[in-house]
Amino acid sequence: MARRQCGCFVELTMEMGEPFAAAPGQFVHVRCEVPGLILRRPYSLYDVRKGSASLLIREVGAGSAWLCAVEEGCELDMLGPLGRGFSMSAGGRHALIAGGTGIAAIRFLATRLMELDGDTVVFWGVEGEKECGGLHGALDGEFDLRLATMDGSAGYAGNVIELFRASGTEGFTGIYACGPRGMLAGLAECIGSEGLARLQVCMEERMACGVGACRGCAVPVSSPPGGYLTACKDGPVFTGRELDWRRING
Amino acid sequence: MAEDKRVDLGIELSGIRLRNPVLVCSGTYGNGREYAEWLELEALGGLMTKSVTLAPCPGNAPPRLWETPSGMLNSIGLENAGLERFLADELTWLSHLDLPVWVNVAGFSPEEYVEVAGEISRTGLAAALELNISCPNVKRGGIHFSHDAHEAAALVELVKAEIEIPLYVKLTPRCTDIAHTAAMVAAAGADGISMINTFPAMAVDIETASPRLGNVTGGLSGPAIHPIAVRMVWEVARAVDLPIIGMGGIWTWKDAVEMMMVGSDAVAVGTLNFADPAAPLGIVDGIAAFLERKGMDSVTELVDMVRGEDE
Repeated sequence: MARRQCGCFVELTMEMGEPFAAAPGQFVHVRCEVPGLILRRPYSLYDVRKGSASLLIREVGAGSAWLCAVEEGCELDMLGPLGRGFSMSAGGRHALIAGGTGIAAIRFLATRLMELDGDTVVFWGVEGEKECGGLHGALDGEFDLRLATMDGSAGYAGNVIELFRASGTEGFTGIYACGPRGMLAGLAECIGSEGLARLQVCMEERMACGVGACRGCAVPVSSPPGGYLTACKDGPVFTGRELDWRRING
Repeated sequence: MAEDKRVDLGIELSGIRLRNPVLVCSGTYGNGREYAEWLELEALGGLMTKSVTLAPCPGNAPPRLWETPSGMLNSIGLENAGLERFLADELTWLSHLDLPVWVNVAGFSPEEYVEVAGEISRTGLAAALELNISCPNVKRGGIHFSHDAHEAAALVELVKAEIEIPLYVKLTPRCTDIAHTAAMVAAAGADGISMINTFPAMAVDIETASPRLGNVTGGLSGPAIHPIAVRMVWEVARAVDLPIIGMGGIWTWKDAVEMMMVGSDAVAVGTLNFADPAAPLGIVDGIAAFLERKGMDSVTELVDMVRGEDE
């Protein structure tokens, strides 16, 4: 395991002992060796190459703090890849929208869509430029990246959905997003019911088992009415029409 | 493998042979299939299924999980696909394994419990039933089986009349005298006790002054409740002469041995499965090594060791 710090983000790159194939949107369930902390933490795959996989961590609590500080060379206990990833098709023009660490799944997806000859534009919302520590510059070299900062320190001043709307939401064959529920709900409202047909979102939820057994990471869905699917097994990627946005907003 | 060791890990509960005394708790292992690609399910002592209700149950509004120091709150709300789907999709699949299965049965009325229990018994595919009279997360129905020992006993009598397989009753820690509840359900015909269910609890996000769980309160599990479970098993083991499957925050083989020493005949691992689905198998190995070190021949020698000779 090797570590690289970029502003508030830490990229952990792990050498994989065995063949590891994963789709963008899939995640690994990581055990954090902190006394008194019992659940694994789900992290989207940020990059997967031959023989290695990487995650993008941001310190938000005890588990992520441990991961951000774990010694280089250590082995991590991970289950995965888990869940259903993004569905991809060749060609097309794609809008990818990320909030905060949602950029992890979105970056992996952008890489794969470009390999499939897709034209991609990535919109990334963060609090401020300082938070990124130059990560946005590095990613801008990989694809067309448009930054939105809440404090106006770089790129568009405001939230990422406003930036996406200002850039024109039409003309994209696919819309993909990963970020906090509020951002996803704002996006769903912005693109309307026609846009939902082209939307796939990767949900960030608290999880226990990670394999669909405990039903803890319930996501409200439109069919059956009032029902739920699990983020860990049925998701974390859902189509815009699968989700019950009214209950997600609530 | 543990089976190859010299000590005998096999036990018998209500006539059911288990290759070792370590089961997995209801709700923490799905219906087994979710873990089949990760490990050998047949190495477990037994499996207690996710709760089955008569009709499909959507479960509670999220968030359903919140982690607490050495514990976890959940309010799943019995989400399951209902009896019909359970029989067709899950129990049939499970029955092909060489693995004793306790089907956990829940309901919103006595009639529902009786119908679900009866149907499952009649399939002949389950080793036993676990009666969930103690889910802390369901408010519907207005029947408080778990609070009222008389209600619990009445339900056990009704269910027993409809089934031909052993009936285990899962007790809640939310009561003033768990030994009394155990004695009442024993007198009503229960074949065994499983204990304890989660402890009702709550957590709040102080930034927004809102509950962490959509259901406001939930059930606390994990190492935080283990000493409570040990004390309660101790009390029940002295009050009833039924097999006990002890559960509640078992995190290491030492916790499992401790639980057996206060009187449980078997143990079940719950929340730990989320951290490590293979942990129950490690616990089996740990128990075997302990027995060897202590020069014991059979795991049954652990049961009730703490009671001593003065009783």
